[in-house]
Amino acid sequence: MTPFRSAPAGYVARWDDVEREVLGRVARDVAELVRAESGLEPGIEVGDGVAFTGVARVPQDPAVQRLLPDAHDEDADVAAEFRHLTQTDLAAGKVARLVAFADAIDSPDELPDDPRDGAELVVPRESAQEFAGALTDVRLVLAERLGLVDDADVETLHDDVLAGIDDDVDDTDDADDDPDEDSDDAPDEYAGWERVGLSGRERRYWGGVFVAAGFAQESLVDEMLAELRAGRAEA
Amino acid sequence: MNGQTTRGARLATAAAATEAAGDTQVDTREDAAAAVADPWVTIVWNDPVNLMSYVSYVFESYFGYPPAKAQKLMLQVHHDGRAVVSSGPRERMEVDVQAMHGFGLWATLRQSGASDGGASGHDGGAA
Repeated sequence: MTPFRSAPAGYVARWDDVEREVLGRVARDVAELVRAESGLEPGIEVGDGVAFTGVARVPQDPAVQRLLPDAHDEDADVAAEFRHLTQTDLAAGKVARLVAFADAIDSPDELPDDPRDGAELVVPRESAQEFAGALTDVRLVLAERLGLVDDADVETLHDDVLAGIDDDVDDTDDADDDPDEDSDDAPDEYAGWERVGLSGRERRYWGGVFVAAGFAQESLVDEMLAELRAGRAEA
Repeated sequence: MNGQTTRGARLATAAAATEAAGDTQVDTREDAAAAVADPWVTIVWNDPVNLMSYVSYVFESYFGYPPAKAQKLMLQVHHDGRAVVSSGPRERMEVDVQAMHGFGLWATLRQSGASDGGASGHDGGAA
């Protein structure tokens, strides 16, 4: 995976087949999760909205609660009314852009001569915000599954994932579910992911997806932000 | 969610409010003062996932805030755990909160006069 770079046609990066496959699958899974948890019927489009269902189901899955959160932290009535009025549109919008994201990376713009180079992915400027938003939703759900609750959790995961690239040989014994050697000196560090019951191997896998999605998003948003500011300066 | 449209509407509302306050007599002005003194606010809360650059992008593109103001608010969210990012009538704040949720930021609305542990103390008014 290369960072997104601004180009005439949009923002361009190269993603390996496995990166496209995994991120596309995760995005479709998240879309399905949001749809099921929010009470969206299949086929509801953005704008069909509230009159169609009337009842916006409060998501039970904490990951979806994060995507469709309460709009008031103390007044449950205000939060419920807001959810009733907005959730269907919000959820449908998220589902639509997650599917669009998956479709876009399923069909890259240019396949490489050498497969090791990765397929070229062009995100047009007009859909870049939706693409970045889909990456956000994917990362929020993965973070919940990985038990990432604060900045230190995320930093630790980043370090572990990057270090883990060299540790693959240790995985031949199926990792023994051991939390790795680091747990000896910092037992509290792993409270988050142990709480969610992931094995070391699962954590490394999903952590790798989380880190890759973050890398893609950061490089994309950096370019979007630079162009937004340049456009303002010219205006 | 078009930032320009949103901002334009907000500025128009503010201009109308100013005009109205200047034209009305003392008794109705008290109502206007009460409404202005007690608007609603949109609060964005910190989370460990959203990138600082993404939060800045949201504040600049959606609210139309200049980079310095967007950065200040973003850092406030990051360090203080939350920041008031817009204020105004409840209906407008509901639009802003929904937009923030669309972007994947965790946002809530609140009446700024309510006991809020100091969230209303920050300068987060509309640009």
